[in-house]
Amino acid sequence: MLRAMGRDKASLDRMTFDNLTGSLLLLLLLVSDLLLCKSVASLPICPSGAVNCQVSLRELFDRAVILSHYIHNLSSEMFNEFDKRYAQGRGFVTKAINSCHTSSLSTPEDKEQAQQIHHEDLLNLILRVLRSWNDPLYHLVSEVRGMQEAPEAILSKAIEIEEQNRRLLEGMEKIVGQVQPRIKENEVYSVWSGLPSLQMADEDSRLFAFYNLLHCLRRDSHKIDNYLKLLKCRIVYDSNC
Amino acid sequence: MKENVASTVVFILLLFLNINLLNGQSPPGKPEIIKCRSPEKETFTCWWKPGADGGLPTSYTLTYHKEGETLTHECPDYKTGGPNSCYFNKKHTSIWTIYIITINATNQMGSCSSDPRYVDVTYIVEPDPPVNLTLELKQPEDKKPYLWMRWFPPTLVDVRSGWLTLQYEIRLKPEKSAEWEIHFAGQQTQFKILSLYPGQKYLVQVRCKPDHGFWSEWSPESSIQIPNDFTMKDSTVWIFVAVLSAVFCLIMVWAVALKGYSMVSCILPPVPGPKIKGFDTHLLEKGKSEELLSALGCQEFPPTSDCEDLLVEFLEVDDSEDQQLMPAHSKEHPGQGMKPTHLDPDSDSGRGSCDSPSLLSEKCEEPRANPSTFQTPEGIEKPENPPKNVTHTWDPQSTSLEGKIPYFHVDGSKSSTWPLPQPPNQHNFRSSYHNIADICQLATGAAGASATLLDKTDKHAFKSSKTIETGAEGKAAEQREVESFPSKTDQDRAWLPPQEKTPFLSVKALDYVEIHKVNKDGALSLLPKQKENSDQTEKPSTPETSKEYAKVSQVTDNNILVLTQDPRAPNLALFEEQAKEAPPSLPQNQAQIDLASFTAPPGNCRLQLGGLDYLDPAGFMHSFQ
Repeated sequence: MLRAMGRDKASLDRMTFDNLTGSLLLLLLLVSDLLLCKSVASLPICPSGAVNCQVSLRELFDRAVILSHYIHNLSSEMFNEFDKRYAQGRGFVTKAINSCHTSSLSTPEDKEQAQQIHHEDLLNLILRVLRSWNDPLYHLVSEVRGMQEAPEAILSKAIEIEEQNRRLLEGMEKIVGQVQPRIKENEVYSVWSGLPSLQMADEDSRLFAFYNLLHCLRRDSHKIDNYLKLLKCRIVYDSNC
Repeated sequence: MKENVASTVVFILLLFLNINLLNGQSPPGKPEIIKCRSPEKETFTCWWKPGADGGLPTSYTLTYHKEGETLTHECPDYKTGGPNSCYFNKKHTSIWTIYIITINATNQMGSCSSDPRYVDVTYIVEPDPPVNLTLELKQPEDKKPYLWMRWFPPTLVDVRSGWLTLQYEIRLKPEKSAEWEIHFAGQQTQFKILSLYPGQKYLVQVRCKPDHGFWSEWSPESSIQIPNDFTMKDSTVWIFVAVLSAVFCLIMVWAVALKGYSMVSCILPPVPGPKIKGFDTHLLEKGKSEELLSALGCQEFPPTSDCEDLLVEFLEVDDSEDQQLMPAHSKEHPGQGMKPTHLDPDSDSGRGSCDSPSLLSEKCEEPRANPSTFQTPEGIEKPENPPKNVTHTWDPQSTSLEGKIPYFHVDGSKSSTWPLPQPPNQHNFRSSYHNIADICQLATGAAGASATLLDKTDKHAFKSSKTIETGAEGKAAEQREVESFPSKTDQDRAWLPPQEKTPFLSVKALDYVEIHKVNKDGALSLLPKQKENSDQTEKPSTPETSKEYAKVSQVTDNNILVLTQDPRAPNLALFEEQAKEAPPSLPQNQAQIDLASFTAPPGNCRLQLGGLDYLDPAGFMHSFQ
């Protein structure tokens, strides 16, 4: 009996060992598959390497980058002109701290964070920021028009930015539609509530409200431009721009 | 006791302070941040300038806090950036965040802080220059040689991930030259230069700029020597082509200079001016209308021997319904209704010859209450005027002729109508030039209607009146034989035709006009031939058919034209100026012509009997105003 038991125990041991080996092998196989899969795809977001998808995505990104670059240039010029003309000696820069309405959106703050975030999340983040600026840009245009001696240069740039921002939003939605068609995100964006301060009677407060808005616009347009360039190099050129 | 101790302490302290002041020591001055810069948007460095150190060793610290935080930090690295600098590495750097940085200077005596500086790394990016600039001369066999250069982005900048996008600019110059030649290269890291001078040594530099930042410094110079045989082979071809084209241009210029005019006239032929055949404008200016008319091929006026043969001539008068007398240009009498319509739409045709249709082309269809006016040949007094001016001058007399009806009164005889004026038609008038002879014939012939006048223009007028007929129908003028001229005591007005605007008085188109009667004074009344029964003039009398008045014998002082009969019938007919009244009802077909005074015409057209030479339309004017 002992001998039978000993024999059974040995076979049991053998069986366990076999099972263990098998599962280990299986696990190894899975892992290797995963690794292999990851390194094969050149455009990870295009299904089975469809050519149309690759080409059109490249063009969409090129166009989006051009728009975002242009918008930031305009915002920068607009801010500099406003600063030179209305904000000298008023100490606005000391007050425009932590005052942007999009600061609640958790955007990456340096290169490492931006590279760690997933491209889908980054795309959605860009969309959120863009949407958050629809309303402020609209009111910026109407309020700049109402300013005394409405400065033509600033007004024209504001109008141009508003229009280009709308176009960029359309382009981004197309890209998102191609990259992740399945996921339909609810429209999330930050609400802007700075309209009353743009219409204040006190000139100093009103000018500071404009200064703050232009300052935040300059920063957010730079963020969008930077993120898009990162995404383009990552997605279209495989991090080899 | 205690007071003594306290005061002593104070005294010593003051003494001590004074000693220090005497030494020149003081707290440090205010430092100032000069510049903050990031070479790759991942780290940044700030430099400051110390203030006065107050004579004591002063230490500087940099403190900062970030936007959205309350904690104050101190500079993590004072060394890497050099003296008076602070280096923030990647861990301490946040993009899109404002840093509020302050420098504190401290020495033994005290401390002093700088003004806070607000720094956002996003906007202080200034990269290092590009590296590894290489130059190479390339001379492919079938292409032009060129200088090829390439470089690499600065080492710290991360372009591959797209974190920064760089644009480049190169500049080059021959070694001895003072000016750089700058080229923008975009985002590419290589460049070709094609236009180079052989045998020169070139210096090349490159710099870069991030997408939203500042230009870097220029890279160190790279140089290259261009060999002497570095030729542009196709330049000889261009030199050859240039020489050939220059020679060709010279030949063209020479040819144009020699034959310029003929070439120009070949390309742009001169536009011929208007001309009337045989019409000499110089003669017109000089006033020699005889020569002028003779040049045009007209016979003398009045006709001499020929006229006698043409005793019976018929005049054709226009009888179309839409023809009315027109007070040409008569603004004073717009309402008279004397506005004959234009009878000769294509009056231009064939009017230049002496054989143009009759002068009588209009017929007055106005009711008798409005006797047609007529135009006197005002233009006669200005023979040298061009025809179209004469039309204007023919003008209202008509105005003054309101209600007047020119007519010839011939005693009781059947009158043939006088050539009636044409509708306002310049061409008809021109034709008048050629028909004076005919008119003259008419006048001197058996037909008694001869209120002819003596001037050239009168001559013309007669002619044209004769040819007026119906311009539209273009019938040839025929002279109408005037059978008799009933003499008449009434004052009649001779009416000179052929002004285009001369109102055509009561003559039917295309009618033959008869002299209705000649009164005892020799006045003619004219009637259209075909409506003999309807012709009633105010002063009809039995026309004598045997008398014909064709010539003006004299002009009296009262502006009365004296007509004579044909030489065969040597009766004098006197035409007197009609009073300023129209016969109340003038038959539509009757023509009445008033003759104003006529002055003797110069020269050619001489009446056989009289000494009158020409008619002066001025006389008409007087009579009718």
